[in-house]
Amino acid sequence: MSLEIESMVRYTSPINPAVFPHLTLLLLGIGIFFTAWFFVYEVTSTKLSRDLFKELLLSLVAALFSGFGILFLLLWVGIYV
Amino acid sequence: MVLPAMAKIRLSFIFYLYIIVKCESINVDTISSDIRFKNVDRTIDISSQLVKITSRITLENIGGTPAKNFLLAVEDHAKNSVAFFGAKDSNNKEIRLVETTVKGYDYVRFWRAELKEPVNAGASATITVESVFTKTLQPYPTAITQQEDQLIKYVGNLFSYSPYYVVSQKTNVVVNTKNVESFTKVKPFSQQDGSIQYGAYANTKPFSEKELVIHYKNNSPFLTVTRVERLIEVSHWGNIAVEEVIEIEHTGAKLKGPFSRYDYQQDHHSGPASVRSYKTLLPASASDVYYRDTNGNISTSNMKVKKDSVELDLRPRYPLFGGWRTHYTLGYNVPSYEYLYQSGNEYLLKMRVIDHIYDDMQVDELVTKIILPEGSTNIKLNLPYAVTRLPDSLHYTYLDTKGRPVISFLKKNIVENHIQDFQLRYTFPRLLMLQEPLLVVGFLYALFLCVIIYVRLDFSIHKADHHHKD
Repeated sequence: MSLEIESMVRYTSPINPAVFPHLTLLLLGIGIFFTAWFFVYEVTSTKLSRDLFKELLLSLVAALFSGFGILFLLLWVGIYV
Repeated sequence: MVLPAMAKIRLSFIFYLYIIVKCESINVDTISSDIRFKNVDRTIDISSQLVKITSRITLENIGGTPAKNFLLAVEDHAKNSVAFFGAKDSNNKEIRLVETTVKGYDYVRFWRAELKEPVNAGASATITVESVFTKTLQPYPTAITQQEDQLIKYVGNLFSYSPYYVVSQKTNVVVNTKNVESFTKVKPFSQQDGSIQYGAYANTKPFSEKELVIHYKNNSPFLTVTRVERLIEVSHWGNIAVEEVIEIEHTGAKLKGPFSRYDYQQDHHSGPASVRSYKTLLPASASDVYYRDTNGNISTSNMKVKKDSVELDLRPRYPLFGGWRTHYTLGYNVPSYEYLYQSGNEYLLKMRVIDHIYDDMQVDELVTKIILPEGSTNIKLNLPYAVTRLPDSLHYTYLDTKGRPVISFLKKNIVENHIQDFQLRYTFPRLLMLQEPLLVVGFLYALFLCVIIYVRLDFSIHKADHHHKD
């Protein structure tokens, strides 16, 4: 039932560790841009001009990019989660 | 005490089961009179802190039936210091050894060697038996001053200890020094520089014992690792982190009198029995090596990257004299493709149970802990030798929710021969890798939602005017 070592392949990370720094900078850059946009929108919009759908969409994009960016930052600095 | 009938039946059933299990677990063998050792060529290497005995045995079957297995024995006084015991046939292939007992010889430790090809009647076979003993070399005197050489007394057996009749035997003791204070003199013997030869002795009876005492100079490092905790952390993001917490002690002759740092620094021959530094070999792919203790980084170390290993020259904060000890942490990263294998969701980790710490090392206690990614199931451990498995536990670190499974085991009395691979199989659904980034994403999104809700709250006392004045 158990597989033999000969029939298995060597395991490599789905993302090459060499690109962790680039991914971090790119993803975190986009993440921070959307975060900034979101906060600027929050403080400049008034009760009347506010659009909930736009807020949710902006924050989702910001959270997605920042989240993955933070993960690759951790991996880059050697915290292999 | 009156027991109900059912309980009685159950009790007796458990009792019988216990007996059956007990009978199967303890092997009992008999000493065959059909086997005899035609020739035994023994080398006892006592030039380091270990006693390494290698015997080339020519086994002869003088009976009428093919011999499938034979017995190997270790005498009473040495049986508890055996760290490693192994046998190889003439093709350098490992022979399976099973620990066993023989009726009437309870004080002897026996192994049954199971030959792949039986020795036919009248035929003979050559077998190489290798054994390593720890804590057998005793410093004598037990305490020396800083300037003195360390003298060691070895007490062993002049004859090869065997349950069979030995026709002819020779022993070569390697001491690697000319300074031999005294040694047992049983003719014929000869002393050449660095070694003492005994034999050939003809026709020794089974279980022959005669004291062999050698008192000689031995300044090789007498370092004992009293405890090492090896931590292997597997990350599916392409890394395996290894960390070893090591407690080390000089177990040679104790230091008598004061220690002069001035003499030690001035004269390089001062403190011949002390340990200034030693070399640790790491895997060739090791990177991000750190060497530190509770105070922080220990800067007196060097790292050399070689073709097939990374060599670390570790120098403790102070030289180690007899009875002195130190404690440090050594860690490094290795890429996962060196040790981790995959097939679908099935993974196999193949790594060393223990790695090299220094040449001719002696480890009292090893605890190896393997931390697997969160969500690993169906964990099966395969070990090259018997160890004590410790209860599984959970480890919590960054971005964990229910904890990572930890497999740990303990082994006592380890030498270099124990540097072998274990295999650990587990199942890990690949999608679970997304759990960690999604956890961060979820947290950030929750934060943003709080902001969205916050801006909709009105904390003002004054009722807002709906119509702006400007």
